[in-house]
Amino acid sequence: MLFCAYKPLTNAIVAVKRNVIDCIPRNVLLLNKHSDRQISQYPVVDHHFDAVVVGAGGAGLRAAFGLSEAGFNTACVTKLFPTRSHTVAAQGGINAALGNMEADDWRWHFYDTVKGSDWLGDQDAIHYMTEQAPASVVELENFGMPFSRTEDGKIYQRAFGGQSLKFGKGGQAHRCCCVADRTGHSLLHTLYGRSLRFDTSYFVEYFALDLLMEDGECKGVIAFCMEDGSIHRFRSKNTVIATGGYGRTYFSCTSAHTSTGDGNAMVTRAGLPCQDLEFVQFHPTGIYGAGCLITEGCRGEGGILINSEGERFMERYAPNAKDLASRDVVSRSMTIEIREGRGCGPEKDHVYLQLHHLPPQQLAVRLPGISETAMIFAGVEVTKEPIPVLPTVHYNMGGVPTNYKGQVITHVGGEDKVVPGLYACGEAACASVHGANRLGANSLLDLVVFGRACALTIAETGTPGEKLSPLKPNAGEESVANLDKIRFAEGTIRTSEIRLNMQKTMQNHAAVFRTGDLLKEGCDKMDAIYQSMEDIKTFDRGIVWNTDLVESLELQNLMLNAVQTIHSAEARKESRGAHAREDYQDRMDELDYAKPLAGQEKKSFDQHWRKHTLSTVDIKTGKVTLGYRPVIDRSLDQEECSAIPPAIRSY
Amino acid sequence: MLGVLVKRVSLVVNRVYQVVLRPTLACPVSTRGYKGEASDDSRGDLIEIPLPPWTEKDGETMDMKRRRLLFQSRKRGMLENCILLSLFAKKYLNTMSETQLRQYDRLINEPSNDWDIYYWATEAQPVPNVYAGEIMDLLKEFTKNKDQEQRLDAPNLEYLDKGSQ
Repeated sequence: MLFCAYKPLTNAIVAVKRNVIDCIPRNVLLLNKHSDRQISQYPVVDHHFDAVVVGAGGAGLRAAFGLSEAGFNTACVTKLFPTRSHTVAAQGGINAALGNMEADDWRWHFYDTVKGSDWLGDQDAIHYMTEQAPASVVELENFGMPFSRTEDGKIYQRAFGGQSLKFGKGGQAHRCCCVADRTGHSLLHTLYGRSLRFDTSYFVEYFALDLLMEDGECKGVIAFCMEDGSIHRFRSKNTVIATGGYGRTYFSCTSAHTSTGDGNAMVTRAGLPCQDLEFVQFHPTGIYGAGCLITEGCRGEGGILINSEGERFMERYAPNAKDLASRDVVSRSMTIEIREGRGCGPEKDHVYLQLHHLPPQQLAVRLPGISETAMIFAGVEVTKEPIPVLPTVHYNMGGVPTNYKGQVITHVGGEDKVVPGLYACGEAACASVHGANRLGANSLLDLVVFGRACALTIAETGTPGEKLSPLKPNAGEESVANLDKIRFAEGTIRTSEIRLNMQKTMQNHAAVFRTGDLLKEGCDKMDAIYQSMEDIKTFDRGIVWNTDLVESLELQNLMLNAVQTIHSAEARKESRGAHAREDYQDRMDELDYAKPLAGQEKKSFDQHWRKHTLSTVDIKTGKVTLGYRPVIDRSLDQEECSAIPPAIRSY
Repeated sequence: MLGVLVKRVSLVVNRVYQVVLRPTLACPVSTRGYKGEASDDSRGDLIEIPLPPWTEKDGETMDMKRRRLLFQSRKRGMLENCILLSLFAKKYLNTMSETQLRQYDRLINEPSNDWDIYYWATEAQPVPNVYAGEIMDLLKEFTKNKDQEQRLDAPNLEYLDKGSQ
């Protein structure tokens, strides 16, 4: 009996007990159409699992652990070792209304999140997330996560952007819980460790290629093992996508080189829509040049933004919250300062983040690492000089549309319809809790709450050991054909060139401030770049540890995300949250909330923009088709927590 | 006599110091009950929830090792390490000896927190003895960037394409 190629992370004896039914490799013969060389052969291994999770970041691990705990035989397929997922970069923290620093209420957190989303967030999902937040943090604490503590031993909570008390009227709230500056790593370490105790099977350094869809139902995932080049089909009744965001479509972003939107692309290739991709969050303080992130925690600990005149300009744009206003407000303010000529540096194209007025002891204890990053990537000594910063791509609010239970949905005939067998959580999903703009420290919360929600929904709707429906024997063939095509691609344009073209186009045409002509030009350029993928050239023909191949497949995924992002942005003729347009500077809701509502007539669905964008792509031509679905304005329980009606958003 | 005693005590102290700094343990320390009550990071979870220890891969040719380490240098948890390690790999990976490759393999794959590698490379934190060595020194020197080259992003892969040279 051949053991499947799988990393010996869990007990090898357990692997035999689990019903890995079909481990005998079968050869898939493919004719390479480009030349008459030898036929390429790819051994295929089939696996049967009760649930498959794609991605091992915070959301993926929480889902995998929850499923394993519920008795489901779970596989976690990941292209990176779990503790090396991009979640490890998170230094901010997790928001939860525990009330350790002052009296707090989750309904105030609910209000802050709804307002932060600029009323594009689905209030039922936001209700679910903010209500579950305190319980989730306590659960993590019980798992052994060593949160930073106050002197009395309670979890220390710090201020973070956009968080207020008493529905915005009670001043700054302190609800961000953290583990020194390594909250992300601690979360991964804790969840990974626990999931191993429940015998989750990890398939590390396996690149997921596509979903296995049949009759509109998701029946698993096909992936290839980088270590030996074998193809693996993970058949399952429940597939969870937790692949993270796609920052790498832009030239300047804070994301690692692993954020390539693999899950969004898999969903697009399956013919399903992605939601709200035009909403890309620009973090106000990315180091000018490299793009490395300076955490919002700096401003939470007292750092301020200044322009070339030495003025703390946020006092003008957000009199109450100042430097801790919501991220899109701060990014827009910084961009306005630069455009109006008050930028810093020889090109006047960035602003400064000042920390040297804070006591060095506080910097060293609460924000270690900032000094190193500033020195290595910007050549700046933080105790003496300010750091040059610029709004940099940081997070994708959009992604795979789901309901509040984590089930992936499509919108057919004016109704939301669940896609059987498919779930999504984390940055890859769009529940949508962040709407048009995400608040800091809500993302780690999103990961644990919705990772757990996916596991709970699967446990409710299925049973471990359920028999799988049959799958066509050649399912996944197109994915392998595509892999082979890219591996032997002999066009004229290198992968890195196409990637740079895409990144520069997105950076120039779909950045913080957007305008009609620039976006239209960008759409045309992106369409041409998409077509240029036909002419791609790769150089590494091997199958084992072929980084060139992996980066080219990632480029295919990025391309799908990029075209949908820019076309959705061009179509949305308003400014909302992170999507700011110079030619349409106001929000276009169904009613004008800046004026008294009495006597106003509600605009019809086609005439206003308070709706989610749903985008699909014709893979061959690259043509993007857009549709829309309404925002969910009811909370889960109107008595427990009344929904917040839209209002003008000011800080 | 006193000298011998002092030496013994210092040996014990040294060993305890090394054990505490070791990021992963081969077996759990069960009766600690340590929940990280200190106001700064106690790394309690590293002690209470030990992950399976890293082991070296057997039966890999040097060429395969280099290819694997290239992927693992370029794909890290955060941008800082992506840029630093992929530039480092571009400069040194193809000329490393077998011992150096094994040192590098351990350095980038054993620590569970990517930030730790960054802090050691930037000398913000002391390097644990298990990772000290030739490769760590090379990395620290490389990070200092004495030639002040521009470090805006990770390099493209085409430097590996023999056909283009």
